[in-house]
Amino acid sequence: MGLTGYLLLAAALFSLGVFGVVTRRNAIGVLASVELMANAVNLNLVAFSRHHAGPTGQVFALFSIALTVAEVVVGLALVLLLFRAKGDVRIELASELKD
Amino acid sequence: MNLLFGLSPFLAVGVGALLLMLAEAFGKPNVAPGVETTDAGAGRAGELALGAAVILVIGAVLSVAVWVAGPESLPELTQVAPHLVIDKFTLFFSFTLCVGGALAALLAGGYLPEHGIDRSEFFPLLLLSTVGAMALSAAGDLLTLFVALETMSLGVYSLIGLRRGSPRAAEAALKYFLLGSFAAAIMLFGLALLYGATGHTDLAGIGAAVRSIGSPGSTVSAGKILISLVLVLVGLAFKVSAVPFHQWTPDAYEGAPTPAATYMAVAVKSAAFAVLLRVLLVGFGDERLASWGAGWPPALAVLAVLSMTVANLVAGRQESVKRMLAYSSIAHAGYALVGVVAAMRSPEAVSAVAFYLLAYTVSTAGAFGALILCGSRGAEAVSYEDLAGVGKRHPAAALAFSLFLFSLAGLPPTAGFFGKLYVFRTAIDSGLYTLAILGLVNSVIGAYYYLRVMVYLYMREPAPGAPRAVTMRSGFVATALVAAAIFVLLLGMAPGFTLDMASGAALTAR
Repeated sequence: MGLTGYLLLAAALFSLGVFGVVTRRNAIGVLASVELMANAVNLNLVAFSRHHAGPTGQVFALFSIALTVAEVVVGLALVLLLFRAKGDVRIELASELKD
Repeated sequence: MNLLFGLSPFLAVGVGALLLMLAEAFGKPNVAPGVETTDAGAGRAGELALGAAVILVIGAVLSVAVWVAGPESLPELTQVAPHLVIDKFTLFFSFTLCVGGALAALLAGGYLPEHGIDRSEFFPLLLLSTVGAMALSAAGDLLTLFVALETMSLGVYSLIGLRRGSPRAAEAALKYFLLGSFAAAIMLFGLALLYGATGHTDLAGIGAAVRSIGSPGSTVSAGKILISLVLVLVGLAFKVSAVPFHQWTPDAYEGAPTPAATYMAVAVKSAAFAVLLRVLLVGFGDERLASWGAGWPPALAVLAVLSMTVANLVAGRQESVKRMLAYSSIAHAGYALVGVVAAMRSPEAVSAVAFYLLAYTVSTAGAFGALILCGSRGAEAVSYEDLAGVGKRHPAAALAFSLFLFSLAGLPPTAGFFGKLYVFRTAIDSGLYTLAILGLVNSVIGAYYYLRVMVYLYMREPAPGAPRAVTMRSGFVATALVAAAIFVLLLGMAPGFTLDMASGAALTAR
């Protein structure tokens, strides 16, 4: 499989992630969809790294994985905060703030 | 040694953040005798706020010191390039960011104890987020850009959700987090594509690769570059909260503790503008991309006009002053974007944007601070009605509020006036007459809702029996307001010195 194959797979995963963010009503579902997007990017980075025959893309992917983990930690803490305050994690229930 | 000196603003704030974290964890909680607490930071918001403010002021002073010594005379700094590019542009922004952060820390020192949010981790988080913001303004490489962006954002997400047990705070934090990480993932996709298309992660290398498009032997694909440009612009437009990527802004500002909203409005926005300028001018500075006919200037011009117009129209209809200030921050992002568009033709526009953001930082921090001062425990000033009659009850708070609103509205003799003047003048000099005129018209519309606050402050009496906000007393908030007021008046009455410094920043941005 050449570079194009990997790019198409990554683009498909990324689009699935975007679709999930737009349609999911559960905060954890949205969070998981964002992670899918981030992992699609990691796939891209590693494929490009092989294409350019250098370590840069792999290093970038490692950093991106670490940052994604940190993001999940903060995200789950915030979901927990919402659950404690509301007893539910559906985002359409979080609608106190509006114009 | 020179390397350490060149990096000292970053090191001071970063090491300071870690020390402050230790001081928080190993200190004794300051609670009434007999009260059990497991939180070592309980009741110590005051001392930690002071520590945070001192560290950030040291960061600002060191930024000035490195500026005076001249980053170009420190050849060792090339060792950290292109990951961190320490030039005058970076130093100007790190000064702005440290000032904004210090003002937010002082406001928090008064606000957190007053409103019963006894959470001292606010201050280490604030400092770490500021380090991220400073690194973002220095990022000359896609990798540092992304790491710095996340460092800054993760701190801010936590700051918003600090008020435990409040559904509004949880909602605000989660909304900002979900949209923020969505935008960050989109931008990351753009960054990966940029690396794939050019084989470089440093902005200078990307810029050279983009310039080589069309020349014989170039393998760089123009399509990939355009797609990545769009994705990166979406990510950064979200961070500067430009319309139509602004929906999170009013909700996040309203639900967040006011000092956290202040920090988001001033530091996150300034750092995002710094990186936007650097990415566009260094990475996408090729004439075919940075021209009126194609590339990013027309896209940004649309964002600028939308941001100014939509935000100004919606801001006038708000009942909450905090939401009004949130929309005002969106409108100001629009004015600053006019300067970014002008930067395609004139390097002076970069310094105009830098000066504008400094003026905006001190004015906005002051306005939020004055709003904090107008409320007290259980009676936070939120709506216009709450501010009725404050001019009589607390003349000093009302006077300070008016000064900062004057500056936000762009009236002389304040910082905001020269900020707008400089940005619109560079727009006219670059031949962007329509943008400049739309900006001026919008400034006039914007004055409406700023003046409306003053009408309530001085000309309305609170309705009988209505719950009215009682002004608070706090040395921290007062100090922050005095410092911000000095900046606003200094930049407004004697802008020459800072303008000279800002124009020094322009030359080294490319």
